[in-house]
Amino acid sequence: MQSLVARSALARSAARVPTRSFASSAARFQATPTEKPVLTKEFKIYRWNPDEPAKKPTLQSYTIDLNQTGPMILDALIKIKNEIDPTLTFRRSCREGICGSCAMNINGQNTLACLCRIDRDASKDTKIYPLPHMYIVKDLVPDLTLFYKQYKSIEPYLQNDNPPEGREYLQSQDDRRKLDGMYECILCACCSTSCPSYWWNQDVYLGPATLMAAYRWIADSRDTYKAQRKEKLQNEMSLYRCHTIFNCARTCPKGLNPAQAIAKLKLELAAD
Amino acid sequence: MSSALVARSLVNQRVATALVHKSFRPLALQVRKSHSDTVYVPGGPIYKGTVNDPTTFPPPNRSHGSYHWAFERLLSAALVPMTAAAFVTSGSSYPVLDGILGISLVVHSHLGFDSIVVDYLHPRKFPVIGPASTWTLRALTVATLVGVYQFNTNDIGLTELIAKVWHA
Repeated sequence: MQSLVARSALARSAARVPTRSFASSAARFQATPTEKPVLTKEFKIYRWNPDEPAKKPTLQSYTIDLNQTGPMILDALIKIKNEIDPTLTFRRSCREGICGSCAMNINGQNTLACLCRIDRDASKDTKIYPLPHMYIVKDLVPDLTLFYKQYKSIEPYLQNDNPPEGREYLQSQDDRRKLDGMYECILCACCSTSCPSYWWNQDVYLGPATLMAAYRWIADSRDTYKAQRKEKLQNEMSLYRCHTIFNCARTCPKGLNPAQAIAKLKLELAAD
Repeated sequence: MSSALVARSLVNQRVATALVHKSFRPLALQVRKSHSDTVYVPGGPIYKGTVNDPTTFPPPNRSHGSYHWAFERLLSAALVPMTAAAFVTSGSSYPVLDGILGISLVVHSHLGFDSIVVDYLHPRKFPVIGPASTWTLRALTVATLVGVYQFNTNDIGLTELIAKVWHA
């Protein structure tokens, strides 16, 4: 009966204003929202407060309902910060894996919180630490000053003394293809902080992220400072502390391969 | 504390640069002490220069860089056919091959151990143990080379020894 009424109403409205027909009938098809069961999961998060430097870092436990949370670890962190503990500190910006701010160690793997799905197995907890072997500013925020200083040291910009007159730099498709897999790096520091060599010799070894950036400019056909760039790396520490451990390639949340870039770099230096 | 605050504030840039030239400036937020009496700690929280200064490179030296790496790899690769050759021939009929294999193995091990020393006991962090372990390693390598030479000239040689142990 009700449907008949609705259909006739629909027919009438369709006759008058054909484009409005769907809008007037939409309410009929809307399902009642289903009640999702509560799925609580425990998150253990590294806490350290610089205002209480004598207090040792601890793992603080938070329990949230996964069915009221977004799918990613970052969603859980934001939910905890919004609803449970506003003092929880972490970096985040784009929430879609392009800014590299939310790099942290989740269940033993360096990755971006925004690209890491929450394991929906509620029986196991999820442990979240800051990037390993870094100085901590607060909670999940590492001090990346040295990382950026190292990135700056390889002069990450195009250097060419003879820029083409009145037009842009030209590059063949093959030359452009050499940069694929390197220019996508967002400098989240996941790879460098997963590298044991970088852990032990951070102050002198550049680390995978910076070395891949260095090779990105050496491989660029438009750059004319290749020789100077390579000469800088001709020492015991900057490049050759890499022992092809491959943690960098394994952990990269963008699916890049810094180890391959370093291997090519070593080969080019050896062939020089 | 107060001088660190002054150094950190960008208002008084002149004071900051003067302090930087005098000593290294602490940047990690954990370091809350005055920095005038702090010294640079390798890998520590105190950085060289300001936040905006790039890190520096050691002086370029190819024998520590690409030559070292290429030699290491070529030697490792060469050990494979050398070991295979030692298997198919006998050490007493080809003493030169036996000698080269002995030297290569020792040099290969030396490079490997040296890498460990550089990684974990670098002199910049361990001013006493670092050089001590480097020289101990060198002494051990020379002693082993002398031993291998003695053994290969006066005794049966490496290949024969391994063959003997193998069949024993």
